[in-house]
Amino acid sequence: MNNQEVKNSIAEKVLNKIKSGQINMKPKAYFVLKTVLFVLGVITVALFILYLISFIAFSLRASGVMFLPGFGFRGVGIFLTSMPWLLILVAVLLIVVLEILVKHFAFSYRRPILYSIIAIIVLVFLGSFIINKTQFHPDLFQRAREGRLPLAGEFYRDFGVPKFQNVHRGVVSEVIDNGFRIETPNKEILEVIVDSETRFPFGTGIKESDTVVVLGERNNGTVQASGVSKIDDNFKIFKQDRPSKPRNMLIPHRMPIMPDR
Amino acid sequence: MEQKNPFQSDEDVVALIRAGDIDLFGVLIHRYKEKMVRYARKFLSDNEDINDIIQEIFIKAYVNIQSFDTNRKFSSWLYRIAHNELVNVLKKRRGRTLPLFDLDVFLPYELHDNSLGQEINRQDMQKMIDNCLDKLEPKYREPIILYYLEDLPYKEIADIMRIPISTVGIRIKRAKKIMRSIFEKLGYKLER
Repeated sequence: MNNQEVKNSIAEKVLNKIKSGQINMKPKAYFVLKTVLFVLGVITVALFILYLISFIAFSLRASGVMFLPGFGFRGVGIFLTSMPWLLILVAVLLIVVLEILVKHFAFSYRRPILYSIIAIIVLVFLGSFIINKTQFHPDLFQRAREGRLPLAGEFYRDFGVPKFQNVHRGVVSEVIDNGFRIETPNKEILEVIVDSETRFPFGTGIKESDTVVVLGERNNGTVQASGVSKIDDNFKIFKQDRPSKPRNMLIPHRMPIMPDR
Repeated sequence: MEQKNPFQSDEDVVALIRAGDIDLFGVLIHRYKEKMVRYARKFLSDNEDINDIIQEIFIKAYVNIQSFDTNRKFSSWLYRIAHNELVNVLKKRRGRTLPLFDLDVFLPYELHDNSLGQEINRQDMQKMIDNCLDKLEPKYREPIILYYLEDLPYKEIADIMRIPISTVGIRIKRAKKIMRSIFEKLGYKLER
């Protein structure tokens, strides 16, 4: 067969298959449905990443881990070991999946991958920042704690405010002779012991109803504080962070007054 | 078959086929079979394989014709189907998958103008392609074919290969450099 014959036979074979009904056109609805499902998939993955990253930020903030670098090298070390690496890994994998999905669209594949990855990361972080300005996660956490969140309840209880041996966040409920007591987001009361070795990177003026992060080894209900930081977290994460009635400020008479370092 | 609709654009013909005039698919086959054979021949040598793959390309085009966006060019869409078919065949032949990560598509590059100018004239380019094309990796071979032999612009090549427009430019530039070096090693001299 010469080239021309080959080409004619191709046309003939294809047309014969079409006319005999061996091959059929897929209907328009099939492609519309496929596109709709694909776009929904992309939106779902994007929203899930947004949720996960804002949840990680919430968890770091709620547990106090986010404020650890303020305690110097030791704080940075504990900060790195206390990060929710599993959730971070899942978020990174989902960003890769989203990038692969987005690459199906001309606006994305016509540009270098670096641009779309940067765009995804910027949008996701911006979205997470906005979500964390709302009461979305604290309210869900609250509902989970009260057993009113059926599906994600366990997730919030396990990952929402993880308990660490070295880091404790809470609201000062009482100032005592050798330190103070805090109420943690998990409704625990911890006694924080302060001594001359305790660092106060952001000042010593601790008073009742302050939100603090304490660095120090926990032994049952007591924490020997190696660092205490009052945090000015405008975002009230937990209900106990939101004062229900005005309280008298107490001046800690016997609180060791350490110069700011 | 071609005389039936000599002046209609591909996109108009597609609209009529979708509306039920399936005979008109022959017009599209007639218009593109030569180009598709030429394109496939740059990657495959066996006539029977080429015959099979061209048939498969047109069958896929017919089956999926409702997914074609008539605001875009039919030729790019058909070349995209051909590209996918050829990639699949080459993958099966070599028994390996294409690299998952390629820096060419990851990083931004300056858009390189590869139009033939004083650097290389058209005859030299034709000679280089004839002698060196089969020695190029497919990732370089394909943009060269689409740009110099099929006369497609960067944007269409980017749509066919689903790679960034700047990557098309940089791959053509590199392919020319590789071909030039092979060409000169073979003892040819480029006219300047």
